[in-house]
Amino acid sequence: MSYAYLFKYIIIGDTGVGKSCLLLQFTDKRFQPVHDLTIGVEFGARMITIDNKPIKLQIWDTAGQESFRSITRSYYRGAAGALLVYDITRRETFNHLASWLEDARQHANANMTIMLIGNKSDLSHRRAVSTEEGQQFAKEHGLIFMEASAKTAQNVEEAFINTAATIYKKIQDGVFDVSNESYGIKIGYGGIQGPAGGRESSSQAGGCCS
Amino acid sequence: MWGGARGNDNEKSKGWNVVADVGSHGLVRLKEVAEKGSTAYRWEGGAERWRRKTEMAEACQVCCGLVTMAEVATMLGRRNLLSREDNDEARKQQRQSCARLLEPACWMMVLARVVEEGKNITQGYSHVEQLLDRISNGVLAEDRRSAITELQQVVAESSSAQLAFGAMGFPVLLSVLKEERDDTEIIRGSLETLVSALTPIDAVQGQKNEIRPASMNSDILSRESENISLLLSLLSEDDFYVRYYTLQLLTALLTHFSNRLQESILLIPHGIIRLMDMLMDREVIRNEALLLLTHLTREAEEIQKILVFEGAFEKIFSIIKEEGGSDGGVVVQDCIELLNNLVRNNASNQILLKETIGFEPLISILKLHRGSAYNFTQQKTINLLHALETVDLLLMGGPEGETIKNANRLSNQTAFAQKKIIDHLLMLGAESQWAPVTVRCRALRCIGNLVIRNPQNCDALANKLVGEEPHIEPALNAILRILLRTTVIPEFVAAEYVVKCFCEKNADGQATLASTMIQPSSGSRSNPRDDGAISFGSMLLQALVTSEPNGDLEMCSRACGVLSHILRDNAYSKDRVLQVKLEESVPSLGPPESLLFRLVKYLAFAASTKTGDKSQTITAGSGDGSYIQTIILQLLAIWLADCPNAVCCFLDSPSHLTCLLERVSNPHAGVFVRGLAALVLGECVLHNNSTENGRDAFAVVDAISQKVGLTSYLAQFDELLKAFDSRFSTAVSHKPPPRSSSASMLDVHEVENHNGLDHMEDHPNLTAILDPLFVTFVRKLEAGIREEFVDVYSRAKNKASILPSGLERRDGEVDGDYIKRLKFFVENQCRDMQDLLARNSNLAEELVRSGGHGAVEISAAKPSSGRERIQIDALRNELQEARRQLEMLKSQKAKMEEEVLFYQSTSGKLESDLKSLSDAYNSLEEANHRVESELKGVKIGANLSHSEVERIRTEAREEAQKEMESELNDLLVCLGQEQSKVEKLTTRLVELGDDVEKLLEGIGDEAGLPDEDEDIEEDE
Repeated sequence: MSYAYLFKYIIIGDTGVGKSCLLLQFTDKRFQPVHDLTIGVEFGARMITIDNKPIKLQIWDTAGQESFRSITRSYYRGAAGALLVYDITRRETFNHLASWLEDARQHANANMTIMLIGNKSDLSHRRAVSTEEGQQFAKEHGLIFMEASAKTAQNVEEAFINTAATIYKKIQDGVFDVSNESYGIKIGYGGIQGPAGGRESSSQAGGCCS
Repeated sequence: MWGGARGNDNEKSKGWNVVADVGSHGLVRLKEVAEKGSTAYRWEGGAERWRRKTEMAEACQVCCGLVTMAEVATMLGRRNLLSREDNDEARKQQRQSCARLLEPACWMMVLARVVEEGKNITQGYSHVEQLLDRISNGVLAEDRRSAITELQQVVAESSSAQLAFGAMGFPVLLSVLKEERDDTEIIRGSLETLVSALTPIDAVQGQKNEIRPASMNSDILSRESENISLLLSLLSEDDFYVRYYTLQLLTALLTHFSNRLQESILLIPHGIIRLMDMLMDREVIRNEALLLLTHLTREAEEIQKILVFEGAFEKIFSIIKEEGGSDGGVVVQDCIELLNNLVRNNASNQILLKETIGFEPLISILKLHRGSAYNFTQQKTINLLHALETVDLLLMGGPEGETIKNANRLSNQTAFAQKKIIDHLLMLGAESQWAPVTVRCRALRCIGNLVIRNPQNCDALANKLVGEEPHIEPALNAILRILLRTTVIPEFVAAEYVVKCFCEKNADGQATLASTMIQPSSGSRSNPRDDGAISFGSMLLQALVTSEPNGDLEMCSRACGVLSHILRDNAYSKDRVLQVKLEESVPSLGPPESLLFRLVKYLAFAASTKTGDKSQTITAGSGDGSYIQTIILQLLAIWLADCPNAVCCFLDSPSHLTCLLERVSNPHAGVFVRGLAALVLGECVLHNNSTENGRDAFAVVDAISQKVGLTSYLAQFDELLKAFDSRFSTAVSHKPPPRSSSASMLDVHEVENHNGLDHMEDHPNLTAILDPLFVTFVRKLEAGIREEFVDVYSRAKNKASILPSGLERRDGEVDGDYIKRLKFFVENQCRDMQDLLARNSNLAEELVRSGGHGAVEISAAKPSSGRERIQIDALRNELQEARRQLEMLKSQKAKMEEEVLFYQSTSGKLESDLKSLSDAYNSLEEANHRVESELKGVKIGANLSHSEVERIRTEAREEAQKEMESELNDLLVCLGQEQSKVEKLTTRLVELGDDVEKLLEGIGDEAGLPDEDEDIEEDE
């Protein structure tokens, strides 16, 4: 169970954009074409390695429906990273990004790292939002951007890991007060020692996938 | 007093007489005192007044004490006066005594009420109002503070003040809380007052019908979610007491209106986070926060998740560690209760706990240190029970659909096993007999849940050893010993649960246990100290057979239950145990007895003790040997299922069949005994592959239909299944609510009390065995048995006898041999035929009996003689024939009648047709005639017109001719005149010398008229 850091993530975005599928692909490496509507929030976890350090990701997948907003907002403050997801085949999910972002800025801590993800990139024939538009939006609002597919697993791993890498870099740069756990970051008992922790992490990741 | 009222009428009336005798004297005296007192109070002054006042106060005190009694008396009296039934002597007496009591009592009550109410109104209501006024309108801070202190005291003491406060106080104090944050003292006071207003006062609880002011006040305060956010904001205050009282206030609100509070706190931004932060506060605050969070998370999944997101698990475990684990105090209990709320039916949180922190900290609570193990305080017991509940909750998985739940359960089982929880559970459940029995039971159940349907964990349990050198033994043996020997029923049930879980879907485990069933040599059997050395199977076998045939079968019945788990759905185990032969302690001449035989012997014995001498029955306390029969029958049912060898072995002794048949047909046997006996019989048919005469399926079926009758035999299944259904429907409704009450102390006693209680309804051995799994087994079997019966009846016994090719004369066969062979064949067929006839008559009888189901008398009075029956049959046939003919004739007649009717109607129709035709002809003729005459008329008309036309024409012509002629004449005249004129003129012209010819040339070419015109013009 030892890890150098623990990061808390949330996944937000309109209902049906594939938040739960992204999480399932990341934690279990599988795709479920028909997924029940998420009620409230669901939890997932995985160990990754950044800079040879084992990092535990705790991920809360939130319900996209408006009726759950008051519940899901409770998760903003304590999260270090957020994946803001839209569906490239549904224009309205892209149009709603601004309101999601506003919600996040209002309730989350200022240092939260946000990754914008255009999901369902495998459905390019039904594309309704161009990659450039996504990039443009991300640039305007200071987000990291990526198009991904929970179905083909394209960029899923990268999305989670790049976010973690950004947070890690912020820690290195001294942006966070890591002793304050309310930022969604925790220093592990496992210490910062390199190789031993790394080995542990790989076995742990294997355990999750089984 | 109410207890007395519930007793029988006779006792009651005696009691009331005594009360009335003592009471009426006392009350009369009190009445005097009170009367004098009140007048004196009104009129006298000074010292006298004081004296009277004290006296009256005393009297009132006595009086108040008596009020309750008087109320009871009044109610009772009123009730009896209302019911006018005087036939009961005791009741009459009771009425009289009540009436005697009634008068002074009523008087006293009125007095007491006046005093009480006066006090309430004057002191309570106005006092509260005054204080509130001082708080809201006061100028001096000091005075306002003292007012609030006083208010708090008043509200804390009297429920009427609570009511008064509820009516007026909230707006005042809430505005203080909102606007005077700087004045810590007044904020404190306000909060404390609010807490008091929400805390029920004990004295009030007795009166159920009275309004509960504390609950009412909670309602008022919690209705506005604004108030809740105000309270939450107070948690950020620096003052310790402010935070402390605020938490208490919120907890009080939660106990009264948990759903409402949960909702509003969930909706307040950062509401839960703020409460969570309180866990990091000073110890006192932290402990309060624990209680509050426990209330807050009860059955509120989303709140549970948010808490966990905020790191609740880490905090809980660190507090538990700080407080000393299971040796800690009530705070540890609170922590584990909160923990249980967080993981109960919440798969998401379970996954997080497993993935992030792991189960290690939980397991470490269960660790017993050998040194401290003997010291089990009550608190430690409760802490351990709670921690074991956590383990159970995690092993049960989440509430979702089967597959997810299953996956979650499996991964939790594995995670627990990896952390070696089984060692600690065994320590608590099987090894440490000094642990309280409740803890032992709970630990055993956890072991069961840990291994159930988890092959790896089953193996781990099978390989586990317990005990200290040199007394080491396999864990399963230790559990079996507990199962067999314990005197505490819940412990037996828990141990049985472990064996059951271990055997479920674990064929290898079952086989291993079965293979150890070898009877130890008689030498070691007499030495109980060697228990540790013998195998599981041997211990079980010993328990099965050591029961003396006329003694206690309790241990045997427990062992039967275990054996049935080992045999269930396991062909190998069934065959293996079938081969177990019992050595006689006293060598006998016959071959060694098999285990199966011994068990049937016990079955017969249990039946005989039950029907025979009831006082001599089983010492286990059930007072009814039928549960032992049920258990043995259940074991047989499982054993014989899909196991022809076992069936064969069972039928080896003809007495076995008789024994079962007796069970089925015995109306005094319980429904389970009869049903299960029927089930075992059915298996003897269904899984019978024997061809030996008297042991094959046919023989069993015949025996059943002769001794019991097919209908009543098959009815046993319906009854059995019905009994199962009702059993489970009640079992479900009796299920305790999912959440154990916070009063966990009760649990401890409850489980221990279980011991005696269970015998009343159902023997626990049965409860453990007749589970849903067995019911599905019965259902499946029943369908198979019914089918098999039909099958047995539809085919001949001796298949070889119907081979027509065998009738041909073989080559070179001598006449004699051929005849012999044919004779043999015929004999065989004859036997078969007789057999079939017999069975057929049985069936027919059955049919007749079931036909007259409603009228049993008729079937009982049915003629037994075959001839009569045949005669009746013949008569019946004749009757039927006659009836049939009659019917036929009737139908013929009806047909004829129908035909007649048909023809009649046809002729009528034809007649009417004819008539209409002739009518039509007549009218046609008439029409014709008319047409003709018309034609004539037309012709005449036509001639007339022709001649007239001719006439008119001639007339017209004549007229025209006439006219023309006259005109012509005129013209001729004119012409003549003109001619003469022309001649005249010509001559004149000629006279004049004009070339007349030339002049006339032009005129001649044109008409003559213009000439004339010119002439005329010239003439004019």
